[in-house]
Amino acid sequence: MTVALSGIPLIETERLVLRAPGPQDWEPYAAFILSDRADFIRPAEFDRGLAWRAFCHATGMWVVRGYGSFVIADRVTGATLGMTGPWHPEGWPEPEIGWTIWSTEAEGKGIAAEAARAAIDFAFRDLGWPTAISYIAPGNERSIALAKRLGAVQDTTAPRPGDGSALVFRHPKPEALA
Amino acid sequence: MSFAWEMPPVGRAAETAMAVAATVPVLESARLRLRAPDVRDFAAYAEIFTSDRARHMGGPYSREGAWHDFCQAVASWMLRGMGVWSIERKADGVLVGFGYLWQEFGDPEPEIGWVLTEAAEGKGYAREAAEAIRAHAFDTLGMATVVSYVDHDNGRSIALAERLGAVRDPGAEAAMADPVRVYRHRPEGRA
Repeated sequence: MTVALSGIPLIETERLVLRAPGPQDWEPYAAFILSDRADFIRPAEFDRGLAWRAFCHATGMWVVRGYGSFVIADRVTGATLGMTGPWHPEGWPEPEIGWTIWSTEAEGKGIAAEAARAAIDFAFRDLGWPTAISYIAPGNERSIALAKRLGAVQDTTAPRPGDGSALVFRHPKPEALA
Repeated sequence: MSFAWEMPPVGRAAETAMAVAATVPVLESARLRLRAPDVRDFAAYAEIFTSDRARHMGGPYSREGAWHDFCQAVASWMLRGMGVWSIERKADGVLVGFGYLWQEFGDPEPEIGWVLTEAAEGKGYAREAAEAIRAHAFDTLGMATVVSYVDHDNGRSIALAERLGAVRDPGAEAAMADPVRVYRHRPEGRA
């Protein structure tokens, strides 16, 4: 289900709500991005100022691009669990579906899969994307396993961002999974 | 050149961007309109911030660095209810610069800032925009005070801060990690 709230869509799944990032998400985001859980998705040299810039980059995309990262919240408790969504960071050859789960407690429950499925659906059905990929650092086995569980297939010919080390997983259109 | 991630949104994304932009207050002055930034304004933003004109604002930046700065400023609308405006001339819609009411990471308090394109300088636009932003801060948001952080060698901005009636705050300057002038604006001290 997708409804508009203050301009930014709100997506509800069985157990989760995907909503716009807000100021209340900064501290949990900072705790995550500065922890070793985020080793695969940020430079080794990182500090709170860069974390703020990264948080603003994800958030500001809603203003400049009309799509961006949703915060994943527990439908019942409202607890902030992570982030997922379509976005297009600076320097990347194509827009991406990203996902992060911010604490070990939220892992192993299929939360990332449930949220990412909704985000991919949103990108294809609402935004009309013709295709969607996820960039994953080699060695990030949990994320690779999730991409495969979502039906994504490695695309070895796609251009890659940055130093070119990322693996590219291309997602099937939702109707291909139906 | 511009990059793929700078292209304007289309379809549903364009509608969402417009809906989000509609939450940003529009400020009007005699000659100017301050409105929500649009991704199409980034070309002008990048031109300023990758040039020597950005030397008093931590620049010049790479184009990627300018993009991060732009996103940081627009995200502020969602995170703090203040941020960056694109300043356009009412008469012809030409973008003349950017105005800020925001609190950058590490800054102790919110500030009013301004930067113009080279072509728009010397016409009093920065003052007009700063006055409109200050009126918004004091009269609409009810802020008790707001500052402008200005580099010691930024003569133009120093002159403008003083013309606006802002007064240097030695205590606030002493508390800053880097040498910078802190000009304090107060509702009653508006020039």
